[in-house]
Amino acid sequence: MRLKLKSLLATVLAATTLVSVAHADQLADIKKKGEIVVGVLGTDEPNSFVDPKTREIVGYEVDLAKAIAQKIGVKPVFKQIAVAARIPELQQGRVDLLAASLTHNKERESQIDFSLTTFVTGQKVMVKASSGIADVPQLAGKKVLTVKGGTQEENVRKAVPSVEVVTFETTQQAFQALQQGKGAGYVNDEATLVNDIAKLGPAKKDYRILPTNLSTEPLALGIRKNEPALKKVVDDTLAELEKSGEADKIFIKWYGPATKLQFDKRSFKIDSDKI
Amino acid sequence: MPGFDLQLLLHGQYHEWLVAGLLVSLKLAGLTIACALPLAIVVALLRLSPWRPLRWLGATYVEGIRNVPLIAHLLFWYFGAPELLPDAWKERLYAGSYEFVAAAIGLTLYAAAFMAENIRSGIRAIPAVQFEAARALGLGFIPAMRRVVLPQALRVTVPPLLSQVIILWNDTSVATVIGVGEMMYQAARVESAAFHSVEAFAFVTAAYLAGSLALTAVAAWIHRRWPVRTL
Repeated sequence: MRLKLKSLLATVLAATTLVSVAHADQLADIKKKGEIVVGVLGTDEPNSFVDPKTREIVGYEVDLAKAIAQKIGVKPVFKQIAVAARIPELQQGRVDLLAASLTHNKERESQIDFSLTTFVTGQKVMVKASSGIADVPQLAGKKVLTVKGGTQEENVRKAVPSVEVVTFETTQQAFQALQQGKGAGYVNDEATLVNDIAKLGPAKKDYRILPTNLSTEPLALGIRKNEPALKKVVDDTLAELEKSGEADKIFIKWYGPATKLQFDKRSFKIDSDKI
Repeated sequence: MPGFDLQLLLHGQYHEWLVAGLLVSLKLAGLTIACALPLAIVVALLRLSPWRPLRWLGATYVEGIRNVPLIAHLLFWYFGAPELLPDAWKERLYAGSYEFVAAAIGLTLYAAAFMAENIRSGIRAIPAVQFEAARALGLGFIPAMRRVVLPQALRVTVPPLLSQVIILWNDTSVATVIGVGEMMYQAARVESAAFHSVEAFAFVTAAYLAGSLALTAVAAWIHRRWPVRTL
């Protein structure tokens, strides 16, 4: 019985491995298909979200992905995916490229390749003003809320080892739970937190973002491992956007003073894929 | 894909997470079964009661609960229901582990609706003359049910109730959506921390399968120990 189980397992594993090596050159495949499938969150303003007027997915990362599709000469197709499903979807070939607020870190480098860093953000913690919590260490022993499948849980545990973490399927649910008082803090990228607070309207004075950064998060586009041709065209496009000043324009369009995020200027350049 | 790392499941941090998840799943399932069964009997009796308002109450419960997906129940009990309480109660509730409490309430009410229908069918399988004979001997509705009909009906109900209990055991996995640290939740945690998805979900699959098979064995034993009596 044990032997049989083992051989069954081996067959399943072998079959999975076969599927994942079936593609020879992804860039050639994309050109042949005439479209590039880009995995986006679609729920993370301003990186990728659904425009309420046009019902189309738009955003900072969406604009970058469109530029890449244009450079290759194919149609971009945006596919909404969950935070926790990002890397599996890419590895199993259901998307060609990830533009999904993806943090570039060492652990993930063994799983997938990353483009040049497209955005630099820090993770922070939002609390209710009435909680009296002034900075991150005061979260010791308290419950904080965040989304599953990202680096948030790991980073907040590193910063405050005694913290209790509860994770949800979407960032909106975690934020909702904070508003209902089900935890003391809500952990996310600073840009997302600022955007969430802006949505509250007059109630925003009841919340504040703690000053200390839990981490510096370089975001990048995700590419399947060992696809040098695709990685080159993605990096070349990003480098060209940077050189022409277009990258700065896209940043100002989604993050600049006229947006909810109200960043004055860009504090990073798209010029390196090292972290 | 890297090879299957069995060591990861047997020792170390990820092992601890998954085992902690298994214990929460067992606790949640155990508590829910213990509460849902008596509730199901009450609801089944309501539906068979001689008084129309009680029958109506039982039917409303069953149809209202079982026609809405479980995930909606759990989200309601976690995000919706407690918001109707006064602030002081809410604070006390949220200070503890309300995720678990909400999951237990949602699962209990949901499972009880299905179990009640199983038990009602079991009761209806007992010839009506048994109940009538008990009443003729001077027993009231409740004593007649308790001493004559239910002991026979519950034996008949063991197989369908077993299915329901197995479904309930597997349904505890839905509690991950409201942040309960059960097995699916911990497997997702291992997946995002270490990308060992195959190992984590292999553990979870084996644990659900083992739990379900153990329940089947218990039901088989109950069925042998208290067989259906020829009527």
